[in-house]
Order: sequence, then C-alpha cells, then structure tokens
Amino acid sequence: MARMVISNNIRKLRFFQEEMTQQELAKKTGVTRQTIVAIENGKYFPSLELAFRIAYVFHTTLEEVFSYEMIKDTTNEESNHD
Amino acid sequence: MSYQEKRIGVSVVSGLLILVSYCIYGVSRFKVVGTGLLTDLRFWATTMLVTIGLGIAVMMLIQIILHIYLAISSEVKKEIAKKIAGDGTCGSKSYQGRSCEDLEMMDKEDEMDKLISLKASNYSFGVIGFGFVASLVTLYFRLPPAIMLNIMFVSFMLASLLEELLQLRFYRKGIYHG
Repeated sequence: MARMVISNNIRKLRFFQEEMTQQELAKKTGVTRQTIVAIENGKYFPSLELAFRIAYVFHTTLEEVFSYEMIKDTTNEESNHD
Repeated sequence: MSYQEKRIGVSVVSGLLILVSYCIYGVSRFKVVGTGLLTDLRFWATTMLVTIGLGIAVMMLIQIILHIYLAISSEVKKEIAKKIAGDGTCGSKSYQGRSCEDLEMMDKEDEMDKLISLKASNYSFGVIGFGFVASLVTLYFRLPPAIMLNIMFVSFMLASLLEELLQLRFYRKGIYHG
C-alpha cells in the first residue's frame, strides 16, 4: 500500500503575510503557539476544521497550505518476493 | 520547554515520589510485622487511603507552587517584552521567543492537547486492565488478598505515571491520527 506524506507551506505563507508570527497565527486560529510549531514541523496534522481555519487566515485554499505525496511502499513488495 | 511539559514533568516527579514512598513504607512494615501483614487488609486499606490522600494533597501543593512560579516569571517576561517594545504595549516584540500574548495563552488547551490526552489515557487503561487481570490471577492461585490489592493499587499508580510520560513523549516527538 502506498504511504502518504503530508507537508505544509505554513512557514512560507507566514513569510508572505509580512512575516506573521506563529503566535499571531495561533491567536487567529484559536490554538496555542505550541500547536502551530508542531504543525509547521510536521509533528502534528491538524483537524480539517483547523486546516480550513489556517487556510482562511492566509486567504487561500487548503491545497495551497497542505499538500500530499503518495510514496509507493516497496518494503512489503520486497518481502513478498523473498 | 512548554507550559504543558513543565506541568507534566512536575506531575511525574510527584507521582513517582508518592509511589516510591508507598513501596518503602509497605516493605519496611512487612519486614517488621512479617507474613501476618498479608492478611491484615485493614492495614493495607488504611495505607492506601492515606497514600491517595497524601498524593492528592502533594499534587495540589506542587501544582499551586508551579502556577505561582510560572505566573511570576511570565509577568517578569511581559514587563521585559514591554520594555523591548518601548511603547508600553507588548506589540509583536518578544522576549526569549515569546510575546506577551504567548505568555498569556500558556495554559490554554486546544485540539492537540486533547488528542495527546486521549491517546495517553488509552494506553494507561491498558495497564489498569492488565493489573486487574493479574490481581484476579493471584486470587485464583489462592494468594493472600493483600497481594491482589497491592497489584491493583500499584497498577493504578503506574498507569497514571505512564499516561503522563506518554503525554511528555507526544509533546516532544509529535502525535499522529490513527
């Protein structure tokens, strides 16, 4: 089964919003700065509601903020061949 | 280290101290009284009740001290942030990477905190379940009921400790759905 890798552009979007601070984004989305830090670093994937809130703050679409890539998992296939 | 991590760290240390002190007291009494203590359920019930009471009191005291310390330190940091801003407001200027608003929002709980708490408690329920089954097994083998009581009590305390340690780990390493 393919593995999904989710990434985000929050750091870039913050930069283009006149270097919006993590705290400002946290306040606008109603979460703590710790959560924004975790999302930016890929340590936490937000709920759909929070994802939309983040996109709304940046006046953009969800796809502009979050993107995914399907990576084919070769480990299982290799073990099947063995 | 974030506010949540500090709170959990303090909670882990106090929980560990209570567990160790209970074990030391139990073993020392067992050495004095001998195997007769294994059938003295009143002694164990009293010890456990006192430990629970002490545990709650110590936990509350430590949390109050921590909150006072954090409140004082955040006020000091706010004043420094205001001085950095120069206009009497916090603005977007920060002290040690934290603005005034950041310091004010420290103890707010959001969706990540709730998910971490939920996942950690899921694992801790597993420990409680294991302890309950183990205690039933001791009864099946006709071991003294004091052993059953102790296994259950210690499993509750270990579950609580595990929950906090897991929370700490999730805050550090991150948490994922599913």
